[in-house]
Amino acid sequence: MRYTEHVRYVGLSLGHGANREAEHWLYTLGLPAGVEACTHLARTPYPHVAVSLALPAAAEADLPAVPPELRAPAGEAAAAHAARRGGRAVLFTGVDSLVDTVTVADLLAQSAIDRVRVLGGAAPDPAMEIVTRDFVRPEWIDGELTLVVTPAPRGRLAPFEFPNPTPCCGGAH
Amino acid sequence: MGHGHHHHDLGGQPAGVPEALDLSIPDGELSPADVSRRGFLRGAGLLGAGAAASVLATPGVAHAHGDDHDHGSDGDHGRKGGFLWLAGDHHIHTQYSSDAQYRVLDQARHGRAYGLDWMVITDHGSVAHAKIGVDKVNPDIVATREQLKDLLVFQGLEWNIPAAEHATVFVHPGRNEVAVLKEFENAYDGTVKNAGGSTPENEALAIAGIKFLGEAVRRRRVEGALFLANHPARRGVDSPHEIRAWRDADPSVAVGFEGAPGHQAAGLPGGNAGGRGFYEGSPSSASFPGYPLESYRTWGGFDWMTATVGGLWDSLLAEGKAWWISANSDSHVNYLDTSTRGPGSNFDLNGRYDDPVYGPLLTEAGDYWPGQYSRTHVGASSFAYRAVMDGIRSGRVWVDHGGLISGLDVRARVAGDRRSTSGTPLGGVMRVKRGTKVELTIDIDLASTPNWAQFVPVLARVDVIAGSVTGAVSDRDSFTAPNTKVVKSFEVDKGTGKVSFTYSFGRVDEPFYVRVRGTDGKRTAPGLMGAADPVGPAMDVIGDADPWLDLWFYGNPIWVLPS
Repeated sequence: MRYTEHVRYVGLSLGHGANREAEHWLYTLGLPAGVEACTHLARTPYPHVAVSLALPAAAEADLPAVPPELRAPAGEAAAAHAARRGGRAVLFTGVDSLVDTVTVADLLAQSAIDRVRVLGGAAPDPAMEIVTRDFVRPEWIDGELTLVVTPAPRGRLAPFEFPNPTPCCGGAH
Repeated sequence: MGHGHHHHDLGGQPAGVPEALDLSIPDGELSPADVSRRGFLRGAGLLGAGAAASVLATPGVAHAHGDDHDHGSDGDHGRKGGFLWLAGDHHIHTQYSSDAQYRVLDQARHGRAYGLDWMVITDHGSVAHAKIGVDKVNPDIVATREQLKDLLVFQGLEWNIPAAEHATVFVHPGRNEVAVLKEFENAYDGTVKNAGGSTPENEALAIAGIKFLGEAVRRRRVEGALFLANHPARRGVDSPHEIRAWRDADPSVAVGFEGAPGHQAAGLPGGNAGGRGFYEGSPSSASFPGYPLESYRTWGGFDWMTATVGGLWDSLLAEGKAWWISANSDSHVNYLDTSTRGPGSNFDLNGRYDDPVYGPLLTEAGDYWPGQYSRTHVGASSFAYRAVMDGIRSGRVWVDHGGLISGLDVRARVAGDRRSTSGTPLGGVMRVKRGTKVELTIDIDLASTPNWAQFVPVLARVDVIAGSVTGAVSDRDSFTAPNTKVVKSFEVDKGTGKVSFTYSFGRVDEPFYVRVRGTDGKRTAPGLMGAADPVGPAMDVIGDADPWLDLWFYGNPIWVLPS
């Protein structure tokens, strides 16, 4: 299960402004099992979020067309994913098991995540607990699917990315 | 009182400070009154680096430093180094913000009770505010000024900087204060103009907005206008080149950013239990790609740009850009208050919420009242609106959390000179002959009374941070200063009274700047730039950041330029 073989990398984009919108869109695509899906922050031709999919050998997917002006960043997203040098994984092997609190060792064993990096700290003890907040978004960094974590209350760790950051004051008005 | 009469004279001068302060205007183009005023300011050491494009380019700025410069004497109550240090907060919301609730008077009465001398009302720029709120809040502010005579209440707004974060913008009180703010908001607010996206056009609109404010001052529509960027690293959308561009657009208006954001209660375990300062975000497509993940969190309650020794703030100072830090409440809804918005309010229709009413205990609010936790101390020549603005513009500013210390007097001096009237204060530029022996004196009044968590804070350590001045950068997105480091740490071995430290730079040959920082020593970690800061502030933990157990003060820089 862990080593799903991905043979085809596809870049997509509808020009979503934020990760959350792009993720929501991902879930509406009816993706086949075994797909690894990543978001990518793109700055051209305007700031937006592109998506890349790594498809297993047998997978068939009916994917939407990419608007012409977004084909270049979508292509770059697919290339970065294929080279394992970029991409923030939303769908990946084992993500469903990363809920509540898991140990570093279990997280590495049960999911496609290769490495846990403590922001500004040493490599974590495998027994340390990670409070997942049911929201785990590892990134491809230097060939390894890496989960960046920070210290959390009561001697535990938590993913750096906080699921529901407080909206900017002022918000919609 | 020594020379105190000068200070009072300054408070009573007629309009004209801006021209006198604007060193891009040669003496020959000033009115005789302004020439006289500029001369006075120079002589009094009041003309800091703040009005100049670069401390390197303005040899006239501080010619008096190192000589006697007549800025007061010992023994004045409330005065340090000849200045009246006035505590304030430039970032406060009221019922005219869609996400806040208090009356102007509520904020002002609490701020005054918590020891503030000045404050700025900064409701959010918005369609409703531009149309209604900016007008309607003014009578409330005017009435509050009447009611609380010992509090200076500025009107401002929290500008949605086009293409970037928020900023405090405020003006000197006067008959055009509303007109200028309203015109500014309608023409340049990122929300009103739908110009929030990170595009070159929107970045240009931000520059135009700052220039508009400078122009409003030069045309004497208002006597002063200031810009300070708020929570600059929170979302990573204030890129280094934008910060540089704001400052360069008009250095007499755009003078700094929040060294520490507000919302300091937001990380309290058992309370909101989020990120201190509501700093809990991640990179987005709008953020500057070069910023590391560490920039999205606070460090000892301070913004990464300021907390990192050798980081973004230091890169500006090393460049010779005068750029100052502040600390504020960003009060919207306050921790452990018991009030709620007026029931049945229609904000969009009325531009405000109805007056608050008694409500449930706010255990999950992230803010403190103005002055309750964060203070920006400004060295002013008198208790006056213009004196506060001049002090901020000149960088005579230090900030503290939780009442860590009561007073701070930092001066660069020719070695051995201990006259009370000499030395270059915070924000100043000391020009000396090459080879002169220079030292820094730090005189601290330790906390003598309990803070607003009812304990007397204990200062554990004071750090002297210094870096080379290396001139303009070639990469406007640079955010490191490799030569800046902690050069000395002083342990504090007493709990009450005054402590004094001296740090000698020896004979100086090259230009440098120096700033100070202090801590209760309760939470520390090696700095992000390695050996530059072996015992710096630690990253705040989401859900476990009790701000009262992690206190720091920061001073603004002083430049020393041998020639």
